[in-house]
Amino acid sequence: MGSSGSHFALFDLEPDFRLDLEQLAARYRERVRRVHPDRFAGAPAREQRLALEESARLNEAYQTLKSPSRRARYLLSLQGEEMPQETTVQDPAFLMRQMELREELQELQDAADLGGLATFKRHLAQAQEQLNEGFATCWADPLRRDEAERLARRMQFLDKLSIEVRQLEERLDD
Amino acid sequence: MAYSDKVIDHYENPRNVGKLDAEDPDVGTGMVGAPACGDVMRLQIKVNEQGVIEDARFKTYGCGSAIASSSLATEWMKGKTLDEAETIRNTQIAEELALPPVKIHCSVLAEDAIKAAVRDYKHKKGLV
Repeated sequence: MGSSGSHFALFDLEPDFRLDLEQLAARYRERVRRVHPDRFAGAPAREQRLALEESARLNEAYQTLKSPSRRARYLLSLQGEEMPQETTVQDPAFLMRQMELREELQELQDAADLGGLATFKRHLAQAQEQLNEGFATCWADPLRRDEAERLARRMQFLDKLSIEVRQLEERLDD
Repeated sequence: MAYSDKVIDHYENPRNVGKLDAEDPDVGTGMVGAPACGDVMRLQIKVNEQGVIEDARFKTYGCGSAIASSSLATEWMKGKTLDEAETIRNTQIAEELALPPVKIHCSVLAEDAIKAAVRDYKHKKGLV
């Protein structure tokens, strides 16, 4: 699959990992407004259906591109192979670190340590930024595909950790 | 989705949770992860001079099925030789725990963790 008809093309963007998220959001809002159901209230059923489909496509594309890890996997799929969803990762040092981070998070929860959680969150954001930078430099090079896949996988684990941080924040806020 | 009684039992009373010294030459460590759900699993074995697994420990961050799969794996590995342990298949784990199709990958993760731990041990001993 080429870039025409891709999620990027929907927003007149070149396929790239580095993306201006504000521009993406603005273009999404502008395009999704054009196919808003209110505008098709009196239109024939076929047009209503097409507008609805377009709206769904825009939404799917926006959600994919907005998230760095989903954008990363999508870019790799555009280059050829889809990365399998259910697979086992063997990346020992990284996974060991993931386990330590989850243990730390558990301790923060037990101690209801909001300050510690804020620090944890900041470090996590830095780690994500580092992964993003790494991916940006290697994804376009077919010879570095393995490296790009490994980084995209790592992003998924950090995504999961971010969700857990958010959930813990909510629990501690109550 | 409802968990089977066996999954709940392992989840509520996990067997062999813990850590062995990864630097110990008689200990093999398997670290595996499932990116789609973010699960992380560590499975360790301690092997005696006869090549029998005398202790097995795990720590898993993940859903109930992933925890139950690794808990069951440690139970099954204890007392087995390395070769016997390597024959444990995810299908056996999934069947024993009555895992639904969407949770089969949790048992695959456990099988991969077993293999990774055995491989790590053999690598340490210069057997591979």
